[in-house]
Amino acid sequence: MQQKNTFLSSFICLFILISCSEKKELPYLGPKTIQIVAGKSDTIYHKIPAFQFLNQDSVWVNERTFNNQIYVADFFFTSCPTICPKMKTQMLRLYERYQKNTSVGLVSYSIDPDFDRPYRLKTYAQKLQIKAPKWNLLTGDKKAIYQLGEKSYMVTAQEDKNEAGGFVHSGAFILVDKNKHVRGIYDGTKSEEVDHLMEDMETLLKEK
Amino acid sequence: MKNKLYLIILSVGGLFSCQSKEEILRQQYSIEGMNLYQIHCENCHLKDGKGLKELYPPVFQTDLFKRLNETQIIHLLKYGQKGPIQVNGKSYDGYMPGNNRLEALDYAELITYLREKNGIEKTFSLDSARLVLKNFN
Repeated sequence: MQQKNTFLSSFICLFILISCSEKKELPYLGPKTIQIVAGKSDTIYHKIPAFQFLNQDSVWVNERTFNNQIYVADFFFTSCPTICPKMKTQMLRLYERYQKNTSVGLVSYSIDPDFDRPYRLKTYAQKLQIKAPKWNLLTGDKKAIYQLGEKSYMVTAQEDKNEAGGFVHSGAFILVDKNKHVRGIYDGTKSEEVDHLMEDMETLLKEK
Repeated sequence: MKNKLYLIILSVGGLFSCQSKEEILRQQYSIEGMNLYQIHCENCHLKDGKGLKELYPPVFQTDLFKRLNETQIIHLLKYGQKGPIQVNGKSYDGYMPGNNRLEALDYAELITYLREKNGIEKTFSLDSARLVLKNFN
Protein backbone atom coordinates (compact mmCIF):
# COMPACT_ATOMS: atom_id res chain seq x y z
CA MET A 1 0.00 0.00 0.00
CA GLN A 2 2.78 2.36 1.01
CA GLN A 3 4.67 1.54 -2.14
CA LYS A 4 1.63 2.03 -4.28
CA ASN A 5 1.16 5.52 -2.84
CA THR A 6 4.76 6.48 -3.54
CA PHE A 7 4.39 5.22 -7.03
CA LEU A 8 1.21 7.19 -7.55
CA SER A 9 2.63 10.43 -6.17
CA SER A 10 5.79 10.19 -8.24
CA PHE A 11 3.62 9.59 -11.26
CA ILE A 12 1.63 12.72 -10.50
CA CYS A 13 4.83 14.72 -10.00
CA LEU A 14 6.14 13.55 -13.34
CA PHE A 15 2.90 14.48 -14.99
CA ILE A 16 2.99 17.99 -13.52
CA LEU A 17 6.59 18.41 -14.63
CA ILE A 18 5.77 17.43 -18.18
CA SER A 19 2.75 19.66 -18.41
CA CYS A 20 4.72 22.60 -17.03
CA SER A 21 7.57 22.26 -19.47
CA GLU A 22 5.19 22.16 -22.37
CA LYS A 23 6.21 24.82 -24.85
CA LYS A 24 4.28 28.06 -24.77
CA GLU A 25 2.78 28.91 -28.10
CA LEU A 26 1.59 32.32 -29.17
CA PRO A 27 -1.84 32.68 -30.75
CA TYR A 28 -2.49 33.81 -34.30
CA LEU A 29 -4.52 37.01 -34.13
CA GLY A 30 -7.00 38.35 -36.66
CA PRO A 31 -9.60 36.79 -38.92
CA LYS A 32 -8.95 33.28 -40.17
CA THR A 33 -10.23 31.80 -43.39
CA ILE A 34 -10.67 28.12 -44.09
CA GLN A 35 -9.63 27.14 -47.55
CA ILE A 36 -10.52 23.81 -49.09
CA VAL A 37 -8.06 22.57 -51.64
CA ALA A 38 -8.50 19.13 -53.20
CA GLY A 39 -10.81 18.01 -50.43
CA LYS A 40 -8.41 19.10 -47.66
CA SER A 41 -9.19 22.07 -45.45
CA ASP A 42 -6.46 24.53 -44.61
CA THR A 43 -6.55 27.46 -42.16
CA ILE A 44 -5.22 30.69 -43.62
CA TYR A 45 -4.15 33.10 -40.91
CA HIS A 46 -4.40 36.87 -41.10
CA LYS A 47 -1.25 38.36 -42.65
CA ILE A 48 0.34 41.81 -43.00
CA PRO A 49 0.01 42.62 -46.73
CA ALA A 50 2.53 44.28 -49.02
CA PHE A 51 3.33 47.94 -48.29
CA GLN A 52 5.93 50.48 -49.31
CA PHE A 53 6.94 53.63 -47.42
CA LEU A 54 9.96 55.90 -47.03
CA ASN A 55 12.08 55.78 -43.88
CA GLN A 56 14.11 58.45 -42.07
CA ASP A 57 16.97 58.01 -44.55
CA SER A 58 14.57 58.43 -47.52
CA VAL A 59 15.06 54.74 -48.33
CA TRP A 60 12.12 52.59 -49.45
CA VAL A 61 11.02 50.07 -46.84
CA ASN A 62 8.49 47.37 -47.66
CA GLU A 63 7.22 44.13 -46.18
CA ARG A 64 10.19 42.27 -47.68
CA THR A 65 12.52 44.36 -45.47
CA PHE A 66 11.28 42.16 -42.62
CA ASN A 67 11.73 38.80 -44.33
CA ASN A 68 13.33 36.33 -41.91
CA GLN A 69 12.74 38.74 -39.05
CA ILE A 70 10.22 39.04 -36.29
CA TYR A 71 9.30 42.68 -35.79
CA VAL A 72 7.45 45.05 -33.50
CA ALA A 73 5.34 47.84 -35.01
CA ASP A 74 3.68 50.92 -33.58
CA PHE A 75 1.99 54.15 -34.75
CA PHE A 76 3.09 57.63 -33.71
CA PHE A 77 3.75 61.17 -34.92
CA THR A 78 6.73 63.36 -34.18
CA SER A 79 4.75 66.30 -32.75
CA CYS A 80 2.64 64.05 -30.48
CA PRO A 81 2.11 65.67 -27.08
CA THR A 82 0.46 62.69 -25.38
CA ILE A 83 1.42 59.01 -25.26
CA CYS A 84 4.16 58.84 -27.93
CA PRO A 85 7.04 59.78 -25.64
CA LYS A 86 6.08 56.94 -23.27
CA MET A 87 5.85 54.53 -26.19
CA LYS A 88 9.20 55.67 -27.52
CA THR A 89 10.78 55.17 -24.09
CA GLN A 90 9.53 51.58 -24.13
CA MET A 91 10.51 51.00 -27.77
CA LEU A 92 14.01 52.22 -26.85
CA ARG A 93 14.22 49.33 -24.38
CA LEU A 94 13.60 46.93 -27.26
CA TYR A 95 16.09 48.83 -29.44
CA GLU A 96 18.80 48.55 -26.84
CA ARG A 97 18.08 44.93 -26.01
CA TYR A 98 17.96 43.66 -29.61
CA GLN A 99 20.45 46.06 -31.19
CA LYS A 100 22.80 43.24 -32.24
CA ASN A 101 20.12 40.66 -33.02
CA THR A 102 19.54 40.70 -36.79
CA SER A 103 16.42 38.53 -36.38
CA VAL A 104 14.52 41.41 -34.77
CA GLY A 105 13.24 44.57 -36.45
CA LEU A 106 11.38 47.63 -35.16
CA VAL A 107 9.09 49.90 -37.16
CA SER A 108 7.12 53.06 -36.31
CA TYR A 109 4.59 54.35 -38.83
CA SER A 110 3.79 58.06 -38.75
CA ILE A 111 0.09 58.86 -38.73
CA ASP A 112 0.88 62.48 -39.61
CA PRO A 113 2.84 61.70 -42.78
CA ASP A 114 2.13 65.03 -44.49
CA PHE A 115 4.04 66.81 -41.73
CA ASP A 116 6.46 63.99 -40.87
CA ARG A 117 8.45 64.05 -44.08
CA PRO A 118 11.64 61.93 -44.08
CA TYR A 119 13.81 64.89 -43.00
CA ARG A 120 11.58 65.42 -39.94
CA LEU A 121 11.77 61.71 -39.13
CA LYS A 122 15.56 62.00 -39.52
CA THR A 123 15.77 64.81 -36.97
CA TYR A 124 13.52 62.84 -34.61
CA ALA A 125 15.65 59.70 -35.02
CA GLN A 126 18.83 61.65 -34.38
CA LYS A 127 17.42 63.20 -31.21
CA LEU A 128 16.22 59.79 -30.06
CA GLN A 129 19.66 58.41 -30.98
CA ILE A 130 18.33 55.55 -33.07
CA LYS A 131 19.17 54.28 -36.55
CA ALA A 132 17.69 52.39 -39.49
CA PRO A 133 17.58 49.56 -40.45
CA LYS A 134 17.19 48.35 -36.84
CA TRP A 135 14.42 50.89 -36.21
CA ASN A 136 12.63 52.27 -39.26
CA LEU A 137 10.46 55.37 -38.93
CA LEU A 138 8.10 55.39 -41.92
CA THR A 139 6.08 57.95 -43.82
CA GLY A 140 4.05 57.88 -47.01
CA ASP A 141 0.50 57.97 -48.28
CA LYS A 142 -1.75 58.83 -45.36
CA LYS A 143 -4.68 56.67 -46.48
CA ALA A 144 -2.41 53.68 -47.01
CA ILE A 145 -0.94 54.07 -43.51
CA TYR A 146 -4.37 54.37 -41.83
CA GLN A 147 -5.67 51.38 -43.72
CA LEU A 148 -2.62 49.31 -42.83
CA GLY A 149 -3.07 50.29 -39.20
CA GLU A 150 -6.77 49.53 -38.94
CA LYS A 151 -7.13 46.54 -41.24
CA SER A 152 -3.79 44.80 -40.88
CA TYR A 153 -2.29 45.71 -37.51
CA MET A 154 -5.81 46.00 -36.03
CA VAL A 155 -5.21 49.23 -34.09
CA THR A 156 -6.76 52.70 -34.13
CA ALA A 157 -4.93 55.28 -36.21
CA GLN A 158 -6.71 58.29 -37.62
CA GLU A 159 -7.07 62.02 -37.71
CA ASP A 160 -9.22 63.63 -35.01
CA LYS A 161 -9.32 67.37 -34.61
CA ASN A 162 -10.70 67.04 -31.09
CA GLU A 163 -7.68 65.16 -29.80
CA ALA A 164 -4.61 66.89 -28.41
CA GLY A 165 -2.18 67.02 -31.31
CA GLY A 166 -4.92 66.37 -33.88
CA PHE A 167 -4.63 62.60 -34.18
CA VAL A 168 -5.94 59.62 -32.28
CA HIS A 169 -3.95 56.44 -32.13
CA SER A 170 -3.58 53.51 -29.83
CA GLY A 171 -0.48 52.94 -27.77
CA ALA A 172 -0.23 49.39 -29.03
CA PHE A 173 2.92 47.49 -29.89
CA ILE A 174 2.15 44.79 -32.45
CA LEU A 175 4.32 41.66 -32.60
CA VAL A 176 4.64 40.12 -36.06
CA ASP A 177 6.31 36.78 -36.81
CA LYS A 178 8.61 35.75 -39.67
CA ASN A 179 5.62 34.81 -41.82
CA LYS A 180 3.96 38.24 -41.27
CA HIS A 181 1.29 36.90 -38.91
CA VAL A 182 0.26 39.07 -35.96
CA ARG A 183 1.10 37.10 -32.80
CA GLY A 184 0.51 39.62 -30.02
CA ILE A 185 -0.71 43.13 -29.22
CA TYR A 186 0.61 44.93 -26.12
CA ASP A 187 0.17 48.30 -24.43
CA GLY A 188 3.36 50.13 -25.37
CA THR A 189 2.89 52.77 -22.69
CA LYS A 190 3.32 50.30 -19.80
CA SER A 191 6.66 48.80 -18.91
CA GLU A 192 5.11 45.61 -17.44
CA GLU A 193 3.32 44.96 -20.73
CA VAL A 194 6.57 45.46 -22.60
CA ASP A 195 8.27 42.97 -20.25
CA HIS A 196 5.60 40.51 -21.33
CA LEU A 197 6.22 41.40 -24.98
CA MET A 198 9.93 40.65 -24.57
CA GLU A 199 9.12 37.22 -23.12
CA ASP A 200 6.88 36.52 -26.11
CA MET A 201 9.60 37.72 -28.50
CA GLU A 202 11.94 35.12 -27.00
CA THR A 203 9.28 32.45 -27.56
CA LEU A 204 8.79 33.59 -31.13
CA LEU A 205 12.53 33.68 -31.87
CA LYS A 206 12.71 29.99 -30.96
CA GLU A 207 9.86 29.13 -33.32
CA LYS A 208 10.93 27.51 -36.58
CA MET B 1 17.78 52.62 30.43
CA LYS B 2 14.76 54.63 31.41
CA ASN B 3 16.71 57.81 30.88
CA LYS B 4 17.72 56.76 27.41
CA LEU B 5 14.13 56.05 26.42
CA TYR B 6 13.09 59.40 27.76
CA LEU B 7 15.77 61.08 25.67
CA ILE B 8 14.62 59.33 22.54
CA ILE B 9 11.02 60.34 23.08
CA LEU B 10 12.13 63.88 23.71
CA SER B 11 14.24 64.09 20.57
CA VAL B 12 11.53 62.54 18.39
CA GLY B 13 9.03 65.01 19.78
CA GLY B 14 11.53 67.79 19.14
CA LEU B 15 11.88 66.71 15.53
CA PHE B 16 8.17 66.92 14.94
CA SER B 17 7.74 70.29 16.52
CA CYS B 18 10.68 71.61 14.46
CA GLN B 19 8.55 71.16 11.38
CA SER B 20 7.17 74.63 11.15
CA LYS B 21 3.82 75.46 9.68
CA GLU B 22 5.61 76.77 6.59
CA GLU B 23 7.44 73.50 6.10
CA ILE B 24 4.23 71.49 6.43
CA LEU B 25 2.60 73.72 3.82
CA ARG B 26 5.60 73.34 1.53
CA GLN B 27 5.37 69.59 1.77
CA GLN B 28 1.64 69.67 1.05
CA TYR B 29 2.25 71.82 -2.03
CA SER B 30 5.03 69.55 -3.11
CA ILE B 31 2.88 66.41 -2.91
CA GLU B 32 0.07 68.06 -4.87
CA GLY B 33 2.69 69.30 -7.30
CA MET B 34 3.91 65.76 -7.79
CA ASN B 35 0.38 64.68 -8.76
CA LEU B 36 0.18 67.53 -11.25
CA TYR B 37 3.59 66.58 -12.64
CA GLN B 38 2.37 63.02 -13.21
CA ILE B 39 -0.67 64.26 -15.12
CA HIS B 40 0.83 67.06 -17.20
CA CYS B 41 4.59 66.58 -17.48
CA GLU B 42 5.57 62.96 -16.97
CA ASN B 43 4.58 61.76 -20.45
CA CYS B 44 7.49 63.58 -22.02
CA HIS B 45 9.89 64.46 -19.22
CA LEU B 46 9.44 61.02 -17.63
CA LYS B 47 9.01 59.95 -14.05
CA ASP B 48 12.62 60.58 -13.07
CA GLY B 49 12.53 64.04 -14.70
CA LYS B 50 15.53 63.20 -16.84
CA GLY B 51 13.75 63.83 -20.13
CA LEU B 52 14.07 61.64 -23.23
CA LYS B 53 17.49 61.61 -24.92
CA GLU B 54 17.82 64.79 -26.97
CA LEU B 55 14.10 65.01 -27.71
CA TYR B 56 12.88 66.35 -24.36
CA PRO B 57 15.06 68.16 -21.82
CA PRO B 58 15.43 67.14 -18.18
CA VAL B 59 13.44 69.14 -15.63
CA PHE B 60 14.90 67.72 -12.40
CA GLN B 61 18.42 68.65 -11.29
CA THR B 62 18.72 71.37 -13.86
CA ASP B 63 19.90 74.96 -14.06
CA LEU B 64 16.38 76.05 -15.08
CA PHE B 65 15.61 77.86 -11.84
CA LYS B 66 18.98 79.60 -11.95
CA ARG B 67 18.45 80.82 -15.48
CA LEU B 68 14.74 81.58 -15.45
CA ASN B 69 12.64 83.37 -12.89
CA GLU B 70 9.23 82.10 -11.78
CA THR B 71 7.38 84.43 -14.15
CA GLN B 72 9.30 82.97 -17.08
CA ILE B 73 8.67 79.42 -15.89
CA ILE B 74 4.92 79.97 -15.46
CA HIS B 75 4.86 81.58 -18.91
CA LEU B 76 6.56 78.49 -20.29
CA LEU B 77 4.08 76.15 -18.60
CA LYS B 78 1.04 78.19 -19.64
CA TYR B 79 1.95 79.11 -23.20
CA GLY B 80 4.33 76.30 -24.07
CA GLN B 81 7.70 76.48 -25.73
CA LYS B 82 8.53 76.76 -29.42
CA GLY B 83 12.07 76.86 -30.63
CA PRO B 84 15.35 76.13 -28.89
CA ILE B 85 15.83 76.23 -25.12
CA GLN B 86 19.02 75.70 -23.12
CA VAL B 87 18.98 73.21 -20.25
CA ASN B 88 22.16 72.24 -18.40
CA GLY B 89 24.25 73.72 -21.20
CA LYS B 90 22.53 71.69 -23.90
CA SER B 91 20.19 73.05 -26.54
CA TYR B 92 16.81 71.39 -27.11
CA ASP B 93 14.84 72.38 -30.16
CA GLY B 94 11.40 70.90 -29.82
CA TYR B 95 7.86 71.90 -29.17
CA MET B 96 6.01 71.88 -25.88
CA PRO B 97 2.27 72.53 -25.89
CA GLY B 98 0.92 75.10 -23.44
CA ASN B 99 -1.68 74.36 -20.80
CA ASN B 100 -4.50 76.77 -20.27
CA ARG B 101 -6.36 74.74 -17.68
CA LEU B 102 -4.02 75.26 -14.74
CA GLU B 103 -5.08 77.67 -11.96
CA ALA B 104 -2.93 79.78 -9.67
CA LEU B 105 -2.89 77.09 -6.96
CA ASP B 106 -1.79 74.49 -9.52
CA TYR B 107 1.17 76.66 -10.51
CA ALA B 108 2.09 77.27 -6.88
CA GLU B 109 2.07 73.52 -6.19
CA LEU B 110 3.80 72.49 -9.40
CA ILE B 111 6.55 75.06 -9.01
CA THR B 112 7.07 74.15 -5.35
CA TYR B 113 7.54 70.55 -6.47
CA LEU B 114 9.84 71.47 -9.36
CA ARG B 115 11.87 73.72 -7.07
CA GLU B 116 12.34 70.80 -4.67
CA LYS B 117 13.47 68.55 -7.51
CA ASN B 118 15.96 71.24 -8.48
CA GLY B 119 17.41 71.54 -5.01
CA ILE B 120 15.39 74.49 -3.75
CA GLU B 121 13.24 73.71 -0.71
CA LYS B 122 11.14 76.81 -0.79
CA THR B 123 7.38 77.22 -1.23
CA PHE B 124 6.15 79.15 -4.21
CA SER B 125 3.21 80.87 -2.61
CA LEU B 126 -0.31 81.09 -3.93
CA ASP B 127 -0.12 84.88 -3.76
CA SER B 128 3.02 84.95 -5.91
CA ALA B 129 1.35 82.67 -8.47
CA ARG B 130 -1.73 84.91 -8.56
CA LEU B 131 0.43 87.99 -9.05
CA VAL B 132 2.34 86.41 -11.94
CA LEU B 133 -0.87 85.33 -13.67
CA LYS B 134 -2.40 88.75 -13.18
CA ASN B 135 0.54 90.34 -14.95
CA PHE B 136 -0.01 88.14 -17.99
CA ASN B 137 -3.45 89.55 -18.60
